[in-house]
Amino acid sequence: MESILGPISGYLTGLGPSVVLPVLITIFGLILGLKLGKSFRAGVTIGIGFIGINLVIGLLGGQVGPAATAMAEGLGVSLDVVDVGWPSSAAIAFGSAIGAMIIPLGLLVNVILLVTGLTRTFDIDLWNYWHSALIGALVAAVTESFLLGLLSAAVHLALVLAFADLTAPIVQKYFQLPEISFPHGTSAPYGLLAIPLNRLFDAIPGLKGLDATPAAIQKRFGMFGESLMMGLVLGLLIGIFGYGFDDPAADSTAILTLAISLAAAMFLLPRMVAILMEGLMPISEAARTFVQKRFPGRTFYIGLDSAVAVGQPSVIATSLILVPVTLLIAVALAPAGNRVLPLVDLATIPFVVAVMVPIFRGNIVRSVIGGGILIGAGLFVATWIAPTFTQVAVASGFALEEGQTTISSIVDGANPLTAVFFAAARLGVPGVLGAALLSLGAVFAIRVAMARRDRAAAAAGSQEPSA
Amino acid sequence: MKKVLIICGTGVATSTVVAAKVRDHLAAQGIEADVSQGKVMDLMGPAPEVDLIVATTEVPATLDVPVVRALPLLTGIGEDAALAEIVSALS
Repeated sequence: MESILGPISGYLTGLGPSVVLPVLITIFGLILGLKLGKSFRAGVTIGIGFIGINLVIGLLGGQVGPAATAMAEGLGVSLDVVDVGWPSSAAIAFGSAIGAMIIPLGLLVNVILLVTGLTRTFDIDLWNYWHSALIGALVAAVTESFLLGLLSAAVHLALVLAFADLTAPIVQKYFQLPEISFPHGTSAPYGLLAIPLNRLFDAIPGLKGLDATPAAIQKRFGMFGESLMMGLVLGLLIGIFGYGFDDPAADSTAILTLAISLAAAMFLLPRMVAILMEGLMPISEAARTFVQKRFPGRTFYIGLDSAVAVGQPSVIATSLILVPVTLLIAVALAPAGNRVLPLVDLATIPFVVAVMVPIFRGNIVRSVIGGGILIGAGLFVATWIAPTFTQVAVASGFALEEGQTTISSIVDGANPLTAVFFAAARLGVPGVLGAALLSLGAVFAIRVAMARRDRAAAAAGSQEPSA
Repeated sequence: MKKVLIICGTGVATSTVVAAKVRDHLAAQGIEADVSQGKVMDLMGPAPEVDLIVATTEVPATLDVPVVRALPLLTGIGEDAALAEIVSALS
């Protein structure tokens, strides 16, 4: 099977996502019952989104890459891996051979899990399948096996859905979102790790009662929220450290150009991704109706993007503080081996903490400490996977000349689950299969825990009226 | 022309879904409006000059612009009521 799939996936990656995805999406839309015109328009819109993202990644690589390298040499701080952020990661993931298959694969996995009762979240947000596609693409690149990549993507999605089930009651109560869960590749794994951290923090005497109010923090750290200003300031700093000021005319030109380019990249990337989203939306809607029509009467958790939780004041306050903290951590950990320069994903920190905050019961001090610890550890993961990440990006047709700029991402590159799957891939076939079995075991264990929780809730419910 | 700002966590993800639905519905009702997207972090700065905010996530309580919660437009549960609320806020 591998011998047939190999050349096919090779040809598809040669064509590039901006050509392949429009065709695939059109076909997929038709299967789901969309009209040809609507389906085709959706496909072409997605292709356009890819071209747009590629332009901006080129700008990032061309402008920021050399400056980061120069800064590394000048300061002796080797932060030469450019964080291209989630918008690029999503595009790279959807643009990979695994990404081309992820929508049908993801729907299939989700439906199987629902029918067998293993998980109860129905993810209506097909866009976020990209997290699983990225895992699959990384595994495929390391093992040079398309099938192992597909397997890892499927298993990753199953895990994320199970995590969403597990954290759903806390999320629903804290954000007041009944029937909602967050099967989000970034938020869910971090949320899971917040559970043991919270127990640990409870055991530390001085930490127990410490908290801060969101309002004061929003006022003081508000400037870190606007990616436009953040890009400009970061660009100026990197430029000054990178280019120095020996030749005022040439250096100031380079510094100012870098500043406006970085601001432009951070501002434009999400806009470009919005075009991708716009194209994917009709497909996502059609898929939702398709599944809901075939499984009526079942009660699901509705799986949403954790973007709906990001506005909660404690999430915002935590994220605002974590922006400068993440930069400081990155510099401080450089001697220990971190090479990632946090840039675009500084604006994505809310997604790292979105499920952690409710588990810490909104405690901002705990959320900042917990987030800082996990992001710090994650920077090493992001550094570790950077060469493969870059290789996947180039294979997906993005304009990076290999060997020139190395890229990675904080949000999914530094993710604990990425570390697990990447490590497994490095161990070869037994590693990947072992990780898949362990993950399915975890999904099953969560199912058992959920059943126990349901029984406890039912027992409490039936006792209430008499009490 | 009335201005509607759709807010979510990134200004990209869920707000794109909601913006498309709001645009379609307003066009069908014959209401002319300028529908734009933004992220909740942008609301930390100066208040936006719009007539209505439709948000998929929580927005600062200090805003003096009417806010409609857009969650029904994502889940499909209570969608008609939410759309009606948007229309009445604009007329």
